[in-house]
Amino acid sequence: MNQLLLMCLIAGRRAAIPAVRVQSVIEIEAVTPIPGAPDFIVGLTALRSQALTVIDCRVSLGFPASDRVVGSRAAVIEHEGHRYALVVDEAFDVVEALSQPVDLPGGFGEGWLHAARGMVETETGPALLVDVEQLVRGPRPASAAA
Amino acid sequence: MDDLLADFVAETREMLEAIGGELVAWEAEPGDSARLDSIFRFVHTVKGNCGFFDFPRLEKLSHAAEDALAECRAGRREPDQQLVSAVLAIIDRIGEMTDAIEAGVDFSADGDQALIGALAVGAADVAMEPLPSGSVVAAEGEAGAEELSEKGAKVALQRTIRLPVSLLDEVMKGVSDMVLARNDLARRLREAGEQPAIDGPFERLSAILADVRTAITRMRMQRLEYLFGSLPRLVRDLSAELGKQVMVDFEGGDVELDREMIEMVRDPLTHIIRNAIDHGIEAPADRLKSGKREIGLLRFSARQSGNRISLVITDDGRGVPGDRLAAKAVAAGIVSEAEAARMTERQKLLFMFEPGLSTAEAVSQVSGRGVGMDVVRANIEKVGGTIDVTSKAGEGTSFHLQLPLTLSIIAALTVEVEGQLYAIPRSYVEEVAFANVQDIEFARAGERQLMTFRGRRVPCVALADVFGIADPRRIAWGSKTLVVMRLASDEVFALGVDRVHDHEDVVVKPIAPAIMDTRLYAGTTLLDDGRPILLLDIPSIAAQRGLNSEVRKRVVTVDSDDTHSTTGARAPVMLFLGLDGRKRAIRLETVRRIDTIQREAIDIEGGRAQAVVGADIFSLAGHESGPLPEGRCRLLRLSDGDSQIAYIVREVVDAGAITQDVVSADDPALEGVTLIDGELVPIVEVHRLFAAQPRPARRDAAPVCRLPADSEWARTILEPLVRAAGYTLTTELHLEADVAIIMDEGEPAPSGPARATIRLSADPEVSGGAIYRYDREAVLGALREASAGHSASGSAE
Repeated sequence: MNQLLLMCLIAGRRAAIPAVRVQSVIEIEAVTPIPGAPDFIVGLTALRSQALTVIDCRVSLGFPASDRVVGSRAAVIEHEGHRYALVVDEAFDVVEALSQPVDLPGGFGEGWLHAARGMVETETGPALLVDVEQLVRGPRPASAAA
Repeated sequence: MDDLLADFVAETREMLEAIGGELVAWEAEPGDSARLDSIFRFVHTVKGNCGFFDFPRLEKLSHAAEDALAECRAGRREPDQQLVSAVLAIIDRIGEMTDAIEAGVDFSADGDQALIGALAVGAADVAMEPLPSGSVVAAEGEAGAEELSEKGAKVALQRTIRLPVSLLDEVMKGVSDMVLARNDLARRLREAGEQPAIDGPFERLSAILADVRTAITRMRMQRLEYLFGSLPRLVRDLSAELGKQVMVDFEGGDVELDREMIEMVRDPLTHIIRNAIDHGIEAPADRLKSGKREIGLLRFSARQSGNRISLVITDDGRGVPGDRLAAKAVAAGIVSEAEAARMTERQKLLFMFEPGLSTAEAVSQVSGRGVGMDVVRANIEKVGGTIDVTSKAGEGTSFHLQLPLTLSIIAALTVEVEGQLYAIPRSYVEEVAFANVQDIEFARAGERQLMTFRGRRVPCVALADVFGIADPRRIAWGSKTLVVMRLASDEVFALGVDRVHDHEDVVVKPIAPAIMDTRLYAGTTLLDDGRPILLLDIPSIAAQRGLNSEVRKRVVTVDSDDTHSTTGARAPVMLFLGLDGRKRAIRLETVRRIDTIQREAIDIEGGRAQAVVGADIFSLAGHESGPLPEGRCRLLRLSDGDSQIAYIVREVVDAGAITQDVVSADDPALEGVTLIDGELVPIVEVHRLFAAQPRPARRDAAPVCRLPADSEWARTILEPLVRAAGYTLTTELHLEADVAIIMDEGEPAPSGPARATIRLSADPEVSGGAIYRYDREAVLGALREASAGHSASGSAE
């Protein structure tokens, strides 16, 4: 019940990332683009002596890309030995979840479909709990999502 | 053997400590078989190690103890108090001898026999109560004991500890972080202006950090001896199994290599050794028949050059028949018969690394088990190394391995494309060519871009095109810098980039799977300023572009004479069209380079003809044969060793070779005529050209520039620039140079005699007349100034 969540804004919607997965929240200072990489990967950024793969959560969810990644906030997470910076519109506080994630009848709308694990209640209102693995994996191909 | 010995001592000591408790327990209860086993294992291990190090006495002692204990284990003998005492005495003796070995002193042999004798059944009272260690030392007599205690202090200093590599990695990472933090701080300090109170200590901090970094790197290093140490046994076993006699010879065992790297090359090396003994070295009788020594020789020699280790494994066996490899390749459908026929021996040998081609006619027990040389190559390449092979029928085969010093740090060239930097592993880079400076001709074949470089057609790929950020049809090749790559399979292609930046040792980190999926990148690394950049996966890029299979055929067909082979009377020539449009040949040795200049740079007045190339004036030849072309003119720069002449041509056609007789022509300007590829070609008489010069050119010799011999940076980055500025290069200290370039770092290196000296600094904040090494304009300016001085002194003569 008392899962800690990093509250953030993704594609203009309130979302929550399990805080246990988040190593830190950084501000993206510079990004090295990666030609040939899929769209949801913005590039690389350095955090101390490590390179992070920068992921645009908007694209991962199937929305249009963020206007400006540099200067945005990002949640640093580790997945299968690699570290990623998940770029969000805004990052807020860490709060306690007040409920288990629940599905809503009718779903959460396109894009959120495969990355949202459900809605959680928090002190600051409801938010969608996102699945970090899905964000890292990128958007689903249109055919699979349909 | 110092490291190995130290390990032996450390290991023995560790074991002694570990069984200390067992010994006591065993003494109390000699019948305890578990204790017996562990003590047996100890003496057994010591015995094994001793045989390896050639400590016959130690071996004899442990062997005797082992025998006695084996009797007990087999139940043939009941361990009694007397045996226990004798074994303990021997173990004590082993400990003391180990100390002596470490201290490097002789240990008296007195008493060895008595100790061994005490093991015998019913040896009764040899009065060997558990020997206090001191008593044996005392029995040593003055020499041993005295020296032993004297060396005691020294020994203590050399104590070693064992650490998990992961801990070292952690420390190394920490130091890397510190370096980055330091760089960040350095930047901020620079921005803040000069602050003597802070700058001094900061400098000191930087120096300390650099030292620590070096020390940490060294911690991970291990001498190659470590690897070599296990080979004699392997060779012995294999040769015994195959009924051959093989001797091993090592050289360069003191070369250090990253521990992990040593483990990574162990298997490939083992495989090469297997092959060498199985297929390379002949049976003793055959060897005698072919006039060789009965015993085959397997040589390992290692040496470090820069950031790479080269390891050569040579056998003096029968050699690898290139023709048989080629025949197999034809049978396997890799090449056609006609193609194979045109291949050089070297190209045929490289088939060895093709999957599924084994020359072994009969599969023996040792090799030919389906793990081929292709796997060896793959494994070597995986760690960033390369492998090459040379072989001579009847004389043997050599494998040349090039390995990076460490797994995680590789030498890389940083290049720029569309404003972004990328790193290319240096091991693939053969040469860097500048399309705008050097004479490079571009041609298209279908959709494939080709360039003619050093007389061969090389396929080109623009990196921007690889990335899909530029239209391959609209690439301005003329302004590209071309990085000529040689793949391990000996295929060559050129990667077009906007600029080549620097040579750096980079620490490579893995990248996320989604980026890996692009098959363009092998990893990521951080630049000194903390920016991440990507390391290109060159073999994969080449494979995606189809550059690694079909190209081989292309290179072979276009360019059957790129090898500097000396078979027969082949004399390489350059084929060109003269201004009259006629094809001629000129001996390649005399052609130093090809220049392209504008028509305006040529001045002909009466009998005087001169051309300006860069900042140099050359006498011009070849202009009599026809009208000068408009716009760009091509010049062959000929050299007789002392002076140079520019020979103007309409077009450089190709490189070729004189294979037929040269028939004298009735023309003093010609050396003669010959058939090249079935075509009658006149050969220009170079001697006459130089002889015809009124004065052997006061400005003909290019000024000489001396570069630091030991600087990788100078060799890779600076050299092309200096060359492009019209200098010839030397690293010889005793030669008088027109200008010497020295690197402003550490203690000043000896610079030798020079008319002018240019000091370059790696630090952008330069002082005292030095130039920041990437200040291209300033470096070129200084070179021009020096070459002007050269011309002034030249004209004064």
